[in-house]
Amino acid sequence: MENKLHVQDLRVSFHTSNGKVQAVRGINFDLAKGETLAIVGESGSGKSVTSKAILGILAGNSIVESGEIIYDGQDLLKISEEDFHKIRGDKIAMIFQDPMSSLNPIVRIGNQLTEAMILKGKIRQKESRNNFNGYLKVLNAKMVEACGDKSREAELTEKCKKFDKFEIEHTKLEAAYNIAHEGAEEALDDIEVIAFELEKNAPGKGAADRLKDIERYAKSSLHKYVVDPEVYRAEVEELAGSLSGKFKDKDYQGLLKSLYRLKEILSTGMGKGVPNFFRMGYYVTFSGQELPDMPIDELNEYLLKYLDENFMLEFLRDAEQALAYSAGITYGNIRTAIGELEKARAAFAREKLDKKECQATAKHLGEVVKNTIDPLAITKDSVVYTFLPGLKSELESYFGGVTGNVRILRKYEKEKRKYDALVAKGKKPGWELADAAVTDLELVKANISHLIDRLSAHYEQILSTSENRDYRAETIAVIDYLMANASGVVAKVTPQIAKQRAIKLMEEVGIAEPHKRYRQYPFEFSGGMRQRIVIAIALAANPDILICDEPTTALDVTIQSQILELINKLQKERQLSVIFITHDLGVVANMADRVAVMYAGKIVEYGTAEDIFYHAAHPYTWALMSSMPDLDTNEKLSAIPGTPPNMIYPPKGDAFAPRNKYAMKIDFERQPPMFQISDTHYAATWLLHPDAPKVDPPKAVMDRIARMNERRKSNDEQPGTSA
Amino acid sequence: MSNQEPLLKVEHLCQYFKAGNFVTKAVDDVSFDIKKGEVFGLVGESGCGKTTTGRSIIKLYNITSGNIIFKGQRIAAGTQGYKDAIKAAQEEMKTADAARKAELEAFIKKQKEEIKSAQHDQKHADKKLVTQIQMIFQDPIASLDPRMTVREIISEGLVIQGEKDKKVIDQKVYEMLELVGLVPEHASRYPHEFSGGQRQRIGVARSIIMNPEIIIADEPVSALDVSVQAQVINLLNELRERFGLTLLFIAHDLSVVKYFSDRIGVMYFGKMVEMADSDELFAHPLHPYTKSLLSAIPLPDPIYERQRKRITYNPLAEHDYTEDKPSFREVRPGHFVQCNEAEYRRIMEQLNGK
Repeated sequence: MENKLHVQDLRVSFHTSNGKVQAVRGINFDLAKGETLAIVGESGSGKSVTSKAILGILAGNSIVESGEIIYDGQDLLKISEEDFHKIRGDKIAMIFQDPMSSLNPIVRIGNQLTEAMILKGKIRQKESRNNFNGYLKVLNAKMVEACGDKSREAELTEKCKKFDKFEIEHTKLEAAYNIAHEGAEEALDDIEVIAFELEKNAPGKGAADRLKDIERYAKSSLHKYVVDPEVYRAEVEELAGSLSGKFKDKDYQGLLKSLYRLKEILSTGMGKGVPNFFRMGYYVTFSGQELPDMPIDELNEYLLKYLDENFMLEFLRDAEQALAYSAGITYGNIRTAIGELEKARAAFAREKLDKKECQATAKHLGEVVKNTIDPLAITKDSVVYTFLPGLKSELESYFGGVTGNVRILRKYEKEKRKYDALVAKGKKPGWELADAAVTDLELVKANISHLIDRLSAHYEQILSTSENRDYRAETIAVIDYLMANASGVVAKVTPQIAKQRAIKLMEEVGIAEPHKRYRQYPFEFSGGMRQRIVIAIALAANPDILICDEPTTALDVTIQSQILELINKLQKERQLSVIFITHDLGVVANMADRVAVMYAGKIVEYGTAEDIFYHAAHPYTWALMSSMPDLDTNEKLSAIPGTPPNMIYPPKGDAFAPRNKYAMKIDFERQPPMFQISDTHYAATWLLHPDAPKVDPPKAVMDRIARMNERRKSNDEQPGTSA
Repeated sequence: MSNQEPLLKVEHLCQYFKAGNFVTKAVDDVSFDIKKGEVFGLVGESGCGKTTTGRSIIKLYNITSGNIIFKGQRIAAGTQGYKDAIKAAQEEMKTADAARKAELEAFIKKQKEEIKSAQHDQKHADKKLVTQIQMIFQDPIASLDPRMTVREIISEGLVIQGEKDKKVIDQKVYEMLELVGLVPEHASRYPHEFSGGQRQRIGVARSIIMNPEIIIADEPVSALDVSVQAQVINLLNELRERFGLTLLFIAHDLSVVKYFSDRIGVMYFGKMVEMADSDELFAHPLHPYTKSLLSAIPLPDPIYERQRKRITYNPLAEHDYTEDKPSFREVRPGHFVQCNEAEYRRIMEQLNGK
């Protein structure tokens, strides 16, 4: 599966007046596309700090000590605030714990929803234009180079221009169709709701508004390929126009009759099938004729033939050639780069690094590595893109450390003298001596060497897979990419469109009567509704990754259940990757594909939901599971004794050892490594060491697993009877 | 336990809030009783009137109508019910004949007396008796005064009741602190110096220093972490065993309520819709709202969770109350459901068929 986010060795600390609080101490995880990763732990375990680091909204006194958060070919820890603006909220969005404090109390809901859309709209349009033009230009150049025939240059350039022209036409046609199609869909939904109420003879509060919606939507659905205006215009308009009047006269039977007729018309329109606008765009632009009048299936076939014969097959062939040609050049560059990397190693491996030499080497490497980026590749190669910034920041911290360490040590010694003097006098100082925060120069050097290793290995891997690349498939991906950007160029966001979209979003997240609600203030909403608004705002920019920081902790069971269902539904529809932070294991079981259990700034156990819930291996996970009651718990709950450790002085060994009744001597002395239990399941506890005594999970956990198995069995036998 | 005299009896409790012409019926005709030593759970979604019920019992509001009887004494009473009855009778008088008129006049007179007696009871409820009902609040941060030390917070009730001897107060405070798992040194500290679980323990200590008979615990664990939640629940359980405390436990986390309560009442929009023993309620939910509520509980079991289907509750579609009005009926010993005649018959058929 495609990896969306990659977090490696993230360490975050906070400067406080008492010392340095180590909130996150080296965590690693990946997030795949369309996956939900749940992070579980007590408060103060570093869950929220991790998510804030991903979003770049850590508090001012924080220091990111090390690590990488790689998203879309960029290391989020090293990009500038300016660049972060393009990602935050747009690509990565967050739902916060408390819906009240994350909404502005004096701004109407509607304005809060559309604010980002309007702000981002123009920028996105510009970006799409740039992407489209830029890519087409490169493609054009490569096409000319690849065919090697100067005489075809004019012809190829003409083709690319053609593509530009009809692609824009295509998205325009499609946009018009979509509006009509959505209108019909919305109207049908509304008709269903109101017909249900009318049959019960009890129209709800919003019935009048809903009828107005139906009227508007039905009229907007008049389109050649949805509800044919030539046949139905008069009837639809008459039916839609009479709805409100009949409702006022309380003629519910008559109203129902009109609604059912309208439903029939709209349903036939919806069942017609979708025309292929890409082909249509070409035909409309270049044939100089009206579209032939035939059923949609036939029309699609006809247009396909026209497009292929006139343009597409040739274009595809040329584009494919260009891709293969460009890839060939890149492979050559990669081979040179591998050699250069090996040569450069020496400069970074000296006893004491030489600043001038290092900078020159870094500059040189930067150029070499830049050449290995294929200009026609659509997805950004994270490892290659992050290499140079990573190298630069490592060098910076090295040379910063060379000068800074001396100063820090001097200061530390001064304080130590003071401290020792107090102790010698027999007094108890009211403060403790924090270790000197010197930069470990050897570690930095090791990091640099690791960076080079990783890049070389990555290059080797690219070369080894070069044989079986499918250029045909890639060409089609290129066409898709161009299509997507072209639609971005056409999609304008005016305040009206933003409002329409916002209202649609509000409906999507389950807010009734969005037209009315749109103009209300946050305090007029209940807790669950407020959380829905927050979710709608987070989704307004159509993000890739959604971070949910305890989104349901403040809500009650029914609302919680609704919100979870909503997030699940939206995730499936939009292929979102979700990071879900919570301490409620029931919610985790509901949401998560994979689970990471955090304690004292570290991930102590990591695995799929099944691994964690049925085969938990870490004592902390056991403790969490046995400390919460479920519907069948009768015995005394086993609370976790004590409190989480003070992270100013993190424990030397396993952080959970003092609260762990299974702790062994080694737990207090050394930190356990991550032991691999299965392909997907890891846990950091000495209990998994081959020499450790065999320990069973506590009885409460075993009992619960047994009960779960039983319940599942009985559910399987008599389906549908579950409570 | 069933033939025991109830410790607290709530009869037809109504609590309305007026905002201009608009009346919010926060609690509407709720009746239940709690026996000594029992834990009565009150569940429902937010805004359904659970907390208002708790607060009305402890007399934080003047109740609109109904009676609250504690240890056989009426401690709170509302008058709206009588006033409505008088109004209806006066309306009827306009058209009634002579015999009926006399009857109605007597009726009105009786109602007026009832109002007087209710007002008297409401005003002159035994203060000593009322202190035997104590409350634990939801948010341990907001419910403790940040400028008072723990000693002041815990002893406040005693001081108000006229205890002046410092030694006695200190001794009692230390005793309570030890009881809830804190140490006497904590008495001189301020609330912000404690963790969430410890703060909730202070809240518990404050409520038990008056030797209460009954504690109203309003979502005492909702704001706490899982591990701390277990600590507080265990503490309440210990206290209950030790002192035979009676509890009215208000929460929305059904797993916790099920674990902790003997009997459970389910509320929906100010009305009690179902009340039964906790095992009975979870095994045989009868009211559609209860079914929907139970289907929403997330359990720590991923495979089960992926199959779990939430049942939605739509009062408009479920019930037809246009003619046949619902009332609270007993369908099995100790199991009450809000239903109308037709539904009652259906439920009885279903129960007898089993």
